[in-house]
Amino acid sequence: MDVQRRNNVTVTGNPHGPTVVLAHGFGCDQNMWRLTVPALVKDYRVVLFDYVGSGRSDLSAFSETRYASLAGYAQDVVDVCDVLDLRGVVFVGHSVSAMIGVLAAQMAPERIGALVMVAPSPRYIDDEGYRGGFSAEDIEELLDSMELNYLGWSAAMAPVIMGNAERPELGEELANSFCATDPAMARVFARTTFLSDSRQDLNKVSVPTLVLDCTQDAIAPREVGAYVHQAIPGSTLLTLDATGHCPHMSAPEATNEAITGFLAGLR
Amino acid sequence: MCRTGQQSDPHDADDEKTSDAAFAALLEDSAEELYECAPCGYLSTLMDGTIAKINTTLLDWLGLNREAVVGRMRFTDLLTVGGRLYHETHFAPLLRMQGEIGGVALEIRKADGVRMPVLASSVVKHGATGEPLLIRTTLFDARDRRAYEEELLRARRAAEEAQRQAEADRARLQDALAALQSSLLPDTLPPIPGMESAAHYRTASPDRLGGDFYDVFRLDAARFVFFLGDVCGKGPQAAAVTSLTRYTLRAAALHDPDPASALTTLNRVLHERYSSGDPRYCTAIFGTLEPDPVTGQVTVHLASGGHPPALVLRADGTADFLPTPGGLLVGILPTARFTPATITLGPGDTLLLYTDGLTEARTGESRTDLYGDEALRAFATDQAGRYPQAVMKALTGLLDSFGDGLDDDTALLALGVPASGSREPA
Amino acid sequence: MSPLNIEVRDAPIGPVLEVIGELDYDTSAELRHLLAALPLKPGQRLVLDLARMEFCDSSGISALIAARNHAQSAGADIALAAVPANTLRVLRVVGLDQVFPLHPVAESAIEP
Repeated sequence: MDVQRRNNVTVTGNPHGPTVVLAHGFGCDQNMWRLTVPALVKDYRVVLFDYVGSGRSDLSAFSETRYASLAGYAQDVVDVCDVLDLRGVVFVGHSVSAMIGVLAAQMAPERIGALVMVAPSPRYIDDEGYRGGFSAEDIEELLDSMELNYLGWSAAMAPVIMGNAERPELGEELANSFCATDPAMARVFARTTFLSDSRQDLNKVSVPTLVLDCTQDAIAPREVGAYVHQAIPGSTLLTLDATGHCPHMSAPEATNEAITGFLAGLR
Repeated sequence: MCRTGQQSDPHDADDEKTSDAAFAALLEDSAEELYECAPCGYLSTLMDGTIAKINTTLLDWLGLNREAVVGRMRFTDLLTVGGRLYHETHFAPLLRMQGEIGGVALEIRKADGVRMPVLASSVVKHGATGEPLLIRTTLFDARDRRAYEEELLRARRAAEEAQRQAEADRARLQDALAALQSSLLPDTLPPIPGMESAAHYRTASPDRLGGDFYDVFRLDAARFVFFLGDVCGKGPQAAAVTSLTRYTLRAAALHDPDPASALTTLNRVLHERYSSGDPRYCTAIFGTLEPDPVTGQVTVHLASGGHPPALVLRADGTADFLPTPGGLLVGILPTARFTPATITLGPGDTLLLYTDGLTEARTGESRTDLYGDEALRAFATDQAGRYPQAVMKALTGLLDSFGDGLDDDTALLALGVPASGSREPA
Repeated sequence: MSPLNIEVRDAPIGPVLEVIGELDYDTSAELRHLLAALPLKPGQRLVLDLARMEFCDSSGISALIAARNHAQSAGADIALAAVPANTLRVLRVVGLDQVFPLHPVAESAIEP
């Protein structure tokens, strides 16, 4: 198994610097980090990848069973660390990837030395004594929205376009193609993301952790950020003056500053 | 609400002046009017999504006042929760990356709670130094289109489900066919003292049950029985006859191992079973093997019912057909004659049985260009003196070389007496 | 287009079926269907004229046997005329040369 090809691994930046792994969340791929990477490349070795089923990963490696749980995605992280023999990396995970990083740190403690959780949520659906912000019906609605937006992309066609390395122009021709992926796989990722409950894993985190939330985030509201911070012993919470769920895109300077500040503190 | 200020009808009477005036009024339709009353929703937001400008059409769709919206609501506030999630995870990041995004299906929630499907497109307006200033968004009414799309989706899901079902059915059928096919042939050949044996079976098509069969089994302390044949036709009906044939011959052998007698029993069974309706019959060679532990020779009694003659490959490098003329197809007449023959196999000799899939393999463009008996005999002559396994390997190579020319199933059975002088070890 | 064509004519002794083209897995059903609908009286003779038959595989042989069974059940006779050499060889292998009366040409087959 060629993990580097399977997860479309990109390694850039300063080969002598400490390693930072940037992990995308549900909905897009490693392109999401393109405003973050420039802030890191001078001092850090930067590793980017796509989860299997996203971006330009090897879609043939997708397994509905494996990726029906966040542990399956966490295994992708561990596999990437193993193949590059990374130790003590700083894992920066956006959205669901923040929780995937928590799981990966449990699975391979020697690989992950610190966590940056960007807009994390351990559970999206409201529960007794917990407000995640969504109901189960809301999640079904999202799945419907996704499905409607994949109309015209036949399920058989999308992987061909995304996986065809000889004809990258096919991908370019399609508008909105950055985050295009196989609808069936995206649906699995959406279900796994939004129906998971990782609250019990938070207090097992034993590495330095920075929690970043946003002033206005419809998906991971501030009270969820506070919950995560409270549950992880010794974590730092920083609220970015940003709107939306992707502060690394909507407020890149503030986000980069927060991340590099945290990284500098670790050295 | 958007209403035209002009009340005059351009088609009123035949007064050209009136009509010209109306046309001029149309041309003077202000940009403001076009924006407010456009047949689509317009909306401009700050980069954080706060709505800065919205047109009347969209306000009408939403059932909201301008005051309640501008500066107070964000674009995502207009969406359903599912749409909001989609916006945050797909729409907004893509818009940031690409500077524009088009034709995304979303739903807005009207003041009365009713959802309205729209198609949203956005572009980012940049300032003089390239910094993003605001987002311009258009929303098109997609109610009719959505109904149609949902129908398409439903149909696609149904088609995918049907396909899954069909594939599962097909896999089950293949499994059943494979199980049935394997019940028609022995798993392995029994060891025969002083002899070597090899068999090969090749179906022309994996979807079709073959009609060829063979078997070898111990009859008593001194003797073994073998048979090989070909049931006419293909598919499940032929397989049923094959099964009947195999077990009839096995039972008949126990009752009376004389080859002509066993074939006579089979003939009666097949004729009685299938004489009414679709006649079913087969060709077969049936025989017994009696190895002599003292001399190392094996006495073979056999009889043929309409089957192509067996080949005898001799240790001296010759090969010849073993004639069994006049033996009739098994099962077509109430009484039938079968021709017995007896030979002795010495060390280095091999008896080769085959079905006509081998001799009738196409070797040329025309369907009458067949491999043929003489070519087979010449091939067998080259193999004479070799071990049965080696002969079988050469024959399977020959079958491979026919490629598409192999139209029919082929069964092969080689029974030989090894000799120290053979050309290969076992 | 089927490569098989069957022409039926009536001789004093019974129907003569001229089999033209290829009698095989794909086409032999045509001969069977035609036979099933063919009226035969006791004492008549069904003649299959194979002079222009270009190819005959095991399904074709089966159809010939079906013709024989059909004739028998009607109390009629059957004869094969002008059997091509290849087919004759197959008939010999399977012993059918003893079952079917064989004639070199159709003319001799329709003689009483």
